[in-house]
Amino acid sequence: MRALSALLALVAPASLLAHETGDLVEFVSCPVYRDTDAGRKSGCWLAYDGASGTRWDVSQSPYKPDYNFAVLVEGRVSAEAGTLCGAAVLDPVRTSRLSIRCPAHMLPAEGFPGRKYSLPERNIAPLAVQRDAPPGPYKARKFYTFFEFDRDFLVYQYDDYLLDKAVTWIKAAQPKKLIVTGFAATEPVIISGRPLAERPETAESRARRVSLALSRLLPGIEIETRWQTGSLPVDAIDADGLPMQSQRRTEIEAVF
Amino acid sequence: MAGCLTAIAIATASTANEDGLDRWWSPGEGRVFPATLDYPNEHGVLRTLLVGGALDTRGHPFFEPIGPTGRACVTCHQPADGMSLSAKTAAARWDQTGGTDPLFAAYDGSNCPLLPQGDRASHSLLIERGLIRIEREWPVKKWNELDVTPDFKIEVVRDPNGCNSGPHYGPEAGIISVYRRPRPVANLKYLLAVGFAYDPKQGLPLPLDPDTGEPMSGNLMADDRAGNLRLQMEDASATHLRMLSRLGKRDRELIRNFEMRVYAAQYVGKGGAVDDGGASGGPAALRDSEPGALGSIGFPVWGEFEAWETIGEVDKAKLTPEQIEFRRSVARGARIFREKTFLITDSAGITTPMGFGNPVRNACNFCHNMTRMGNDVAPGQVDLGTTTLPFADPFDDLPLFRITCLNDPHPYYGRTFETYDPGFALTTGRCADVGKITLQSMRGLAARAPYFSNGLAKDLEAVVDYYERRYRIGYTEQEKQDLINLMSVL
Repeated sequence: MRALSALLALVAPASLLAHETGDLVEFVSCPVYRDTDAGRKSGCWLAYDGASGTRWDVSQSPYKPDYNFAVLVEGRVSAEAGTLCGAAVLDPVRTSRLSIRCPAHMLPAEGFPGRKYSLPERNIAPLAVQRDAPPGPYKARKFYTFFEFDRDFLVYQYDDYLLDKAVTWIKAAQPKKLIVTGFAATEPVIISGRPLAERPETAESRARRVSLALSRLLPGIEIETRWQTGSLPVDAIDADGLPMQSQRRTEIEAVF
Repeated sequence: MAGCLTAIAIATASTANEDGLDRWWSPGEGRVFPATLDYPNEHGVLRTLLVGGALDTRGHPFFEPIGPTGRACVTCHQPADGMSLSAKTAAARWDQTGGTDPLFAAYDGSNCPLLPQGDRASHSLLIERGLIRIEREWPVKKWNELDVTPDFKIEVVRDPNGCNSGPHYGPEAGIISVYRRPRPVANLKYLLAVGFAYDPKQGLPLPLDPDTGEPMSGNLMADDRAGNLRLQMEDASATHLRMLSRLGKRDRELIRNFEMRVYAAQYVGKGGAVDDGGASGGPAALRDSEPGALGSIGFPVWGEFEAWETIGEVDKAKLTPEQIEFRRSVARGARIFREKTFLITDSAGITTPMGFGNPVRNACNFCHNMTRMGNDVAPGQVDLGTTTLPFADPFDDLPLFRITCLNDPHPYYGRTFETYDPGFALTTGRCADVGKITLQSMRGLAARAPYFSNGLAKDLEAVVDYYERRYRIGYTEQEKQDLINLMSVL
């Protein structure tokens, strides 16, 4: 098994020849779970891009795949060697669950160690931990939340972290009101031969969900809710340089 | 020696008689609820502590029959059963009273009010499975004060008791009957505690308490239909107590005050007192600890028994070999609970949609994560399959519903599937929530079999067996016994 692992480690860089570190990769695929069994949340997620013939390690997505459904993968080629999970690494990466059924498939570890779980950078502290007020001066500012393809669900250890940061600032800044705008990427794009477009109503449902979230976290503040289709990419740091991720967003605008 | 330790433990507290009469608390008895109250069970002794000292129950609305049925809250929340109600107790009460106790009131203490009430068979779900009938209005119209339009259709496939198809009952009549175990009314500060403001399973911050404006934990009821104690009391008084008018504010305050003072946990197990030899089991540590802490970043879940991993010479000298081995087994069980990982698959509320992935490798304390309690720091509506086919065992005596998702299919069951209890979906109206049930408190398990919301597991062995079958964990026989022993001392 160790020999196989070493062989695959040698093979992984070869498949990267067509890709440079930092290249953007987008494809649709059935995900494969590799049970590396290195403790809790240690399994690897792999996805094969038929166009380039590359199997990618997409485990670093904040929302992991479901092996019953296809995923839209969008990520950038990492400099990390593909030795932990047995595939070239995409990081940053997103894996949006699509409504396309897949045969659930799982691989054994095959000698790959996987990644020991560690808390992601984006995780919120328990309520008992004091949030320090961010320094002023306070002026009009936008915050973002991001979503899986065509979904409005606010994802654990990603969106909750972004909301917590926004709310901490808003509580300190005391803006007059918030304008929440939901966006959906409704213009079709062809990925892996499939036309992909978000439903127009997703823009509204994202806006309403974030407005509801803010009304619970900031009771009493005025919130105006808007939505917009045909979303274009924005340069937002928490979209991690992934243009499609940045299109699937809400904007929370603090107005003074 | 074990008997000696048990006797010492009990000697310091008020102890129930073994004749069965003192064990049952009837409404309106006017007994004093002592500060410390012990009841034996097959695994040892359950102890109930009342913070602030003894309570004279005369005139107290938790103990007095305040509705027309002759029932009180205590009817289904018995001290000997960890403030819940075991099937064994229900059966004994039938035998003692010939079914005349208010517990067996037609409304929900029988399989259906349409059945002949004098027959024991008409109350089989309560007597044999410990199940109370729960009536839910259908379709649900509001949840957390927001309008709801259900995205699924319910049809009755089988109705062995008549309460889902008889006159004035069933989805067509706007009433769905499901059958569930009473949840324990003890250790409530843990069930109400909020560790984070955010509910990852809902993808939203926690809803706010309509009375206090504070976030609500979501851990009170099996289907989260009432988020705070006032709402729960109003629900219970209108249904189980059949009160036509609302429970008054003073009564609610008295009940809340009592419920927040009660702690219940196993105090003596087969290895002796659970706070002996450096362990910190039992209700006193529960009473004295802060609620809402996540075990993975603080005091480990069931770390109470870590000291039993290495039993010192002094303790060895006073224990029997059987007690020593039992304590070691409990300590191993605690580690297995935290450290033995397995693949969790196709379980809504865990593997979808919050981002963990499906499957996800984790251990029991992934969900049972609150320090000292083992309930969920995040609200715990998850689908283990205990109420829904194909995972649930055959229950020929329960109603069976066919669910049809009207929009997106359920992520694991598809567009059409069958369930004994839609669970959380009866509250939210969402097809993706069918089969989700709030995680149960793990304290006092020894006193209140059977387990899971619908009593699917008749004993602790059956709980472990269910998980083993559902997730193909691969527990060894020793690991199973260690987990059973652990659960028997909680």
